[in-house]
Amino acid sequence: MNCKRYERQLWAYVEGDLSPAQAQAFEAHLQACPHCQRQLEAAQATYRALHALPRRRAPENLSEQVRRRIAAAPARRRIDWAHWGRRIALAPALGLLAAAMWWGWQALQPSPAANTLAEDPTESLVELHEQLELADWSPSPTPSYFISTGYTR
Amino acid sequence: MFRETVSLSRSFVAVDTLSVEARLVERARAQDEAAFEQIMSLYADRLYNYILRMVGNATDAEDLVQETFLRAYQGLPSFDGRASLGTWLYRIATNLCIDHQRKRARRVTTVSYSAQEDEDGETTEWDFPDLQTPNPMDAALNRELEQVVETAIANLSPKLKTVLLLYDVEELSYEEIARVLNIPMGTVKSRLNHARAQIQKQVAAYLNDAPAPTQARSMK
Repeated sequence: MNCKRYERQLWAYVEGDLSPAQAQAFEAHLQACPHCQRQLEAAQATYRALHALPRRRAPENLSEQVRRRIAAAPARRRIDWAHWGRRIALAPALGLLAAAMWWGWQALQPSPAANTLAEDPTESLVELHEQLELADWSPSPTPSYFISTGYTR
Repeated sequence: MFRETVSLSRSFVAVDTLSVEARLVERARAQDEAAFEQIMSLYADRLYNYILRMVGNATDAEDLVQETFLRAYQGLPSFDGRASLGTWLYRIATNLCIDHQRKRARRVTTVSYSAQEDEDGETTEWDFPDLQTPNPMDAALNRELEQVVETAIANLSPKLKTVLLLYDVEELSYEEIARVLNIPMGTVKSRLNHARAQIQKQVAAYLNDAPAPTQARSMK
């Protein structure tokens, strides 16, 4: 007896979900299998009991109690996405405006740092020029390295 | 002979209901209190029963169903309507129940549906008044078997219990349960099989031990 197979089909049979051929095979097996008959009896009793469980009504004052709780509950701050969306959309425009104003203000202000940078190269060039004028440009009689090494022929 | 006839339509919302609910949600979002009242009246009993079986305690269930509606009210502005209202409410309720069970896990080890002692030390008899008996079979159901099944449900792990209650008691579809719990449909089916197997085992033991003939046996 292959009871495992039929046990798997037990609830499908109870709920009428087996095909006619499957149901026929299942019933044929039941005729010869007291174990599966008992299983089916338990499944059917379970099914009936589950679907016939008594139902209680909700308490009469339920809606009144809920209204009280709603009134007593702290109001939740709702996020207004449309409002925040508008704010977020404005942010880049405001940023650009602020940057443009800053650059404009910077352009109008005399910058001491910029002046220093402009003067420093000129002074350096003048100094360099003076040094070049004062330098001794007369040709040396002998290469200096002969003297410094002390080499004699 | 053995076969049961089961309705194939399994969904807690019909198409018409969806559009009605969508309108209610829109109105409730616009601070229409009457619309939110209607939403509560549509789902109060279903959510209360579901939560009651999830937590096994009427006082906690009442508190949690109130909390579910409070969260729903506060969450209405962010409810985008992709899930149905029912799916969304069951999701809120399930999360609250799981949080509640986690908090109580260390204190509560067993749950008995016959008699429970609440936090004030008072013993509360669990009784499910049979307020609605649309199916004559309900009336014939063996009371003992009902207790066996209730106790077996209470002893399931939260994961299995959630799926079993949503499918077999609240009658949501696999797809709806998958959306409520945010798990694949295959996981829903697998958990349901495990849950049913555990309950079936308890019922089989009861049927084997019970003096024959019981009403449950005679219902075949």
